[in-house]
Amino acid sequence: MHIQKKHTKEKFFKALFGATAILTILEVASIIVFMLYGAVPALQKIGFLNFIFGSEWNSSNYDTYTGPMEGLYGIMPMIVGSLFATAGAVLVGGTIGFFSAVFLAEFCPKKLKKVLSHSINLLSGIPSVVYGFFGMKVLLPLLGVFSENGDGAGILSVSLVLGIMITPTVTALSKTSIEAVDRSFFEGAVALGARKERAVFKVIIPAGKSGIFASLILGIGRAIGETMAVVMVAGNNPIFPSGIFASFRTLTTNIVLEMSYGGELQTGALIASGAVLTFFILATNICFGLIRNSGSRFKGKKSSLATLATSYTSTDFTEATKAEGLLDLQTTDGELQNSQTFNNNFLVTSKKTDKASLIGKHMGTVSTIIACVSLFSIIIFILVNGLPYITSELLFGEFSYAGTPSIASSIVSTLMVIVLGSVVAFPLGIAAAIFLAEYANKNGKMCKIIRLMSETLGGIPSIVYGLFGLLFFCNILKMGTSILAGGLTLSLMIVSTTIRGTEEALLMVNDSLREASYALGAGKFRTIRKVVIPNALPGIFATIILGISRMVSESAPVLFTMGASIKPMPTGFKSSGATLAVALYALGREWMHINESYATACVLIILVLILNIASAMIASKFTKRLTCTT
Amino acid sequence: MVEKYSIRTEDLDLHYDAFKALSNVNIQIPEKTITAFIGPSGCGKTTLLKCFNRMNDLIANCRITGKIYVRDIDIHSDIDVNALRRDVGMVFQKPNVFPMSVRDNVTFGPITHGVKKKSDLDKIVYESLHNAGLWNEVKDRLNKSALGLSGGQQQRLCIARALAVSPDILLMDEPTSALDPISSGKIEDLCDELKSRYTIVIVTHNMQQAIRISDYTAFFLLGEMLEFGETEEVFSNPKNKKCENYITGRFG
Repeated sequence: MHIQKKHTKEKFFKALFGATAILTILEVASIIVFMLYGAVPALQKIGFLNFIFGSEWNSSNYDTYTGPMEGLYGIMPMIVGSLFATAGAVLVGGTIGFFSAVFLAEFCPKKLKKVLSHSINLLSGIPSVVYGFFGMKVLLPLLGVFSENGDGAGILSVSLVLGIMITPTVTALSKTSIEAVDRSFFEGAVALGARKERAVFKVIIPAGKSGIFASLILGIGRAIGETMAVVMVAGNNPIFPSGIFASFRTLTTNIVLEMSYGGELQTGALIASGAVLTFFILATNICFGLIRNSGSRFKGKKSSLATLATSYTSTDFTEATKAEGLLDLQTTDGELQNSQTFNNNFLVTSKKTDKASLIGKHMGTVSTIIACVSLFSIIIFILVNGLPYITSELLFGEFSYAGTPSIASSIVSTLMVIVLGSVVAFPLGIAAAIFLAEYANKNGKMCKIIRLMSETLGGIPSIVYGLFGLLFFCNILKMGTSILAGGLTLSLMIVSTTIRGTEEALLMVNDSLREASYALGAGKFRTIRKVVIPNALPGIFATIILGISRMVSESAPVLFTMGASIKPMPTGFKSSGATLAVALYALGREWMHINESYATACVLIILVLILNIASAMIASKFTKRLTCTT
Repeated sequence: MVEKYSIRTEDLDLHYDAFKALSNVNIQIPEKTITAFIGPSGCGKTTLLKCFNRMNDLIANCRITGKIYVRDIDIHSDIDVNALRRDVGMVFQKPNVFPMSVRDNVTFGPITHGVKKKSDLDKIVYESLHNAGLWNEVKDRLNKSALGLSGGQQQRLCIARALAVSPDILLMDEPTSALDPISSGKIEDLCDELKSRYTIVIVTHNMQQAIRISDYTAFFLLGEMLEFGETEEVFSNPKNKKCENYITGRFG
């Protein structure tokens, strides 16, 4: 007999994992508190209404909280600019993304589909600064031909760049939700005599519309929070946009343009506009959450958003889509009955509407071609222009302020930031995910709050992380602009994706393995350590690589916290420096080193593509292995 | 001689939220025998089985009242539930081998409970696999993945894995329902051999199986134990009318 008193080890680990999960709440709370702490004095000085509705932004970096105010701080032009840019981006990216998704999900030949889907997924990882760089070098001169003043920068260029940037995201998510629609609806529609196009556009797409809608909202979130791609193609005058070629600013670009040399009040005002931006994003996310939770009709989004493979959500997804689809089928039935009463007019009606559906089908083909051509041309253009200039001098050369630039110091800074960010973010994120997946009561309040906070963190735009890092790490903790501050800021940013990815990997481990381990008398912690984690390891590994890839590609958060220009080789974590993405931004804005900027963009793209391909391969192997086990 | 009981329950009730899955179960399972639980689907036999090693703890909305004694120890008193599960092993309906090597599957339990020496572990691996009738089939591939075994071999590996922690009691939840007849036969023979050392409780849908291997049989319906006695007696001369109807195939 072995029955004896229980020990306290289990409780200790539960508390430990729980504590890391609670840190996410703390992170959101401190971001909000510090943003307000930076913004409120400025808002008091400027006046809240003057700030929001003021139509002129003419800052002065001599303004202080105590002295007289010389500058004007109205952000209405930037709010309008952000809204226009986002609307344009969604118009371009949403349309192309949606129709590409329809094509890929329903009309694409099977072999081609696999290749195209994989490459579009990979393209969603291209750093935004590369999109901006491409826009600046290729799109602006092209559009300049049509513009009156010969300058292509403005709403149109921003819409195109952002639109192409969000296309992969919209396509991937919409495709998932279209494919998740029960095939019996399609069969039912075809059995009623509908052609394939009609079945797709009248039955399948309406049934999957909640997921498609969700993908658009996610695209909106990405567009409104984007900074680096916009700043390179917007022209950047702080005025109301007056036409498609008129120079303008968004909320994000306003911050990035003025923060680095801002005076006391100016900095406060910029932080306040960061708070406004956060408010916009959170409002979008809350709308998204409300739609998602409002009854079974929209339940489907959950599973289209979570990666495709989580099996339990997909069951209530099918139920939800079934319910939805039934409604749609009923209307089709209704049409059918009507047409029967009019002497078999269904055939006629079907021919009529087929026209619209047929156009839709062709739109799908065209959109996919546009998406692929533009995305691949970005990569090919940059590789062709940059590869010849990747020299040993560029990669390993000595740093000098004059002469040909070397990105050696940036490579080292990037590595240091990755190491630091990984050491902080991954243990925390993975531990929090273990708590959520293994310990927490799934329907408990605690779990819901932590999950909400984690989702909120995922929605906060990267530039706001930059502002927070500047306030908290650089100023309050007195780290100064340093690799230390940059790494910590990036780690905060990737915590939420780490939590989500790890949780999904843990939940994919079959429950029967947990049961078997418990039945052998293994405790909870031992079961997690010996059975659950080893089985989820590839999924966790894929999440980590994706997190590293994000740290490599983001530039806005490190711009303020570790420096905006290429510096000499760092001597330690206290040194400042530019990551590769920031180096591209710095080089790209100076026309002098055009070849070196192409080469840097190449290095960045190759690095990120390798990381993303590795992550995708590990993840797909993982899924395959787990499906074999069960 | 006073008969020794491995498992005893007193007025056991079990609820899932408002649903009463077990009601007023009083059972006494004698040591070193095979007891079969029979009854139609959803009658509570697996639920009761999972009470004996407190696997129901894993279900959040499950509430238990009444007493369960394993070898006269109240398993809801302040005990180590992991040690309880070491004493009360379990084999599941679907073979759930860990995606590890055959050897690691067997040693998972012993290592969990503190066996460290390689020679001890080797001995356990041999004995468990041997007792599970699997040794000859896997001795040359101990370090290969257990996922490569056939379904029947996997299930016997699960039994070996359960034996490796040297339990007193073995709970089997329809261990042959996912297997072919030959594999099922091997597992039935195995049960017969194991009986001299372990108390076995087996849930089965297959009444022939119950007759073939068990000493005692309990019949369940809608969460109540309607009949319990020696297998021969239960099948030849059931006292409860519903039990008789079930056995003679009138429902279920």
